[in-house]
Amino acid sequence: MISSRKKKYIPAIGIPALLIFLSILPFFVTDYIVSLLLDILTWVALTESWIILSGFTGYISLGHSAFFGIGAYVMAISWMSLPYPLIILISATSSMALAFAIGFPVLRVRGPYFVILTLGLSEFAKYIFINYEVNVKGTVGRILLGVPPIKTLYFSLLVIAFFTILCAYLIQRSRFGYGLFSIREDEDAAESLGIDTGIFKWLAFGISAFFPGAVGSVMALRRTYIDPYSVFDPIVSFQIIVMAFLGGMGKLHGPVLGACILTLISEFLWARYPHYYMIILGVVLVVIVKYLPSGILEIVGKLETAIRFLRTRMGCIF
Amino acid sequence: MHFLECRKVTKHFGGLTALMEVNLHVNEGEIVGLIGANGAGKTTLFNLISGVYPPSSGAIRFDGQDISGLKTHDICRKGLVRTFQIVKPFGNMTVLENVIVGELFGVHRDKTLVKAREDAIKTLEFTGLYEKRDTLGKELTIADRKRLEVARSLATNPRLLLLDEVLAGLTSTETAEAMKLLKKIRDEMGLTIFMVEHVMKAVMGLSDRIIVLHNGEKIAEGTAEEVAENPVVIEAYLGEKIKT
Repeated sequence: MISSRKKKYIPAIGIPALLIFLSILPFFVTDYIVSLLLDILTWVALTESWIILSGFTGYISLGHSAFFGIGAYVMAISWMSLPYPLIILISATSSMALAFAIGFPVLRVRGPYFVILTLGLSEFAKYIFINYEVNVKGTVGRILLGVPPIKTLYFSLLVIAFFTILCAYLIQRSRFGYGLFSIREDEDAAESLGIDTGIFKWLAFGISAFFPGAVGSVMALRRTYIDPYSVFDPIVSFQIIVMAFLGGMGKLHGPVLGACILTLISEFLWARYPHYYMIILGVVLVVIVKYLPSGILEIVGKLETAIRFLRTRMGCIF
Repeated sequence: MHFLECRKVTKHFGGLTALMEVNLHVNEGEIVGLIGANGAGKTTLFNLISGVYPPSSGAIRFDGQDISGLKTHDICRKGLVRTFQIVKPFGNMTVLENVIVGELFGVHRDKTLVKAREDAIKTLEFTGLYEKRDTLGKELTIADRKRLEVARSLATNPRLLLLDEVLAGLTSTETAEAMKLLKKIRDEMGLTIFMVEHVMKAVMGLSDRIIVLHNGEKIAEGTAEEVAENPVVIEAYLGEKIKT
């Protein structure tokens, strides 16, 4: 709950300032830094879009890799034949359309069954594309030629990440958001209070799938070579979950924080200790999950309490 | 025509018959108590009326409309809401937010968030939870959770309230408080209440009429005194007399 007026002004000035900063930044740094920022934006957009379904309703989905892959394939198939922004839009829409199509049966199951079913669906999507490549096209993957410069991709992802966060923010503050939170807390109670839980979950599933489609589309151009194994990689789904948990799922800036931190840690470890990278990353994650089960935001919360405590103490003294 | 009417309602779960051709009705403005031993079918009946599952046969009518087979959320929108025996507060939401959900999605569905919030505060004042509005659902005591369950249901602006054991597990002071609230709901809001209750003092004291279920069948119906003296009821509760 926002209590003081001051707190309302911080995002009002801070967010435009951050956006302007991120728009100017690429012109002053090396391509390596731009590609690192691009990676961060990718994961921010993916994690935040995942939050719209899984954070808000509590339905943990492993289906994001499928939506990412669909987006990448739409780009691979239509690259050079349609304008670039239009392809991104088509990718996002196709991925959302797929989610709406499979959403009704999928969302009838709850809990662990839902998790397994979404994992199965993304594997299913992968094998459909493998089959399509091998048996229909007689190929293994696609090479994309004449891709736009990295700055273009960076700005595309900046826009996508911005709209993902905006969408999540607007939903969080809406009537729809209240409905989704009630489903997370207790679906039967939500239903008994007049919420059509089926429709709500279905809409959240579809909206949540829109953004990974767009991200996958841009990332196909970034990778320049795609095949079903790499774009339908279930690791994408797992990494999203790790980031969301790392940052804390309760608030919208949690996942953003998680995505930034994990991308930076992996990049740093990968550059310095390529042989031990996965081992160290694993240890870091175990430590965080063990000691900060509600995510890194917990530290911020604890600091705030400490400061407030100190302030009241100081107030007594002076 | 009655406000709520169940006609020959039957429910089978596999080979088990939970309810057998139950006929009953509730008139507008009444408080009707539903009693019976464990396993008599009280909660099953509530689940059928509130649309958790459809009846195997028979019809349920609310305010002249057939509601058997409708979904729970549709039934709620028609003005029939239930509470749960095992309370289900939204644990990570504040008391106020819990009630706002009821205001937003109940009978009046075109409310803005601001209006819903105002109405929720009124509901909290009415139910005596206003002081605890910023407490999280999971931090409430059992008595307050039950109270929140009622407040959240009232927030949907129902005309008929199904209360599933809202007094169970309370201390005698808390029971008295809760009974006061139920009387207030009837007297000031004019709601019809259909309640399952084990606390006999409360059922006897509050209900205009009592219906007794036993092994899935309705065995008696009448005022508190009539039911208490009914030999069939006494037999169901205490067992048959030993024949000598």
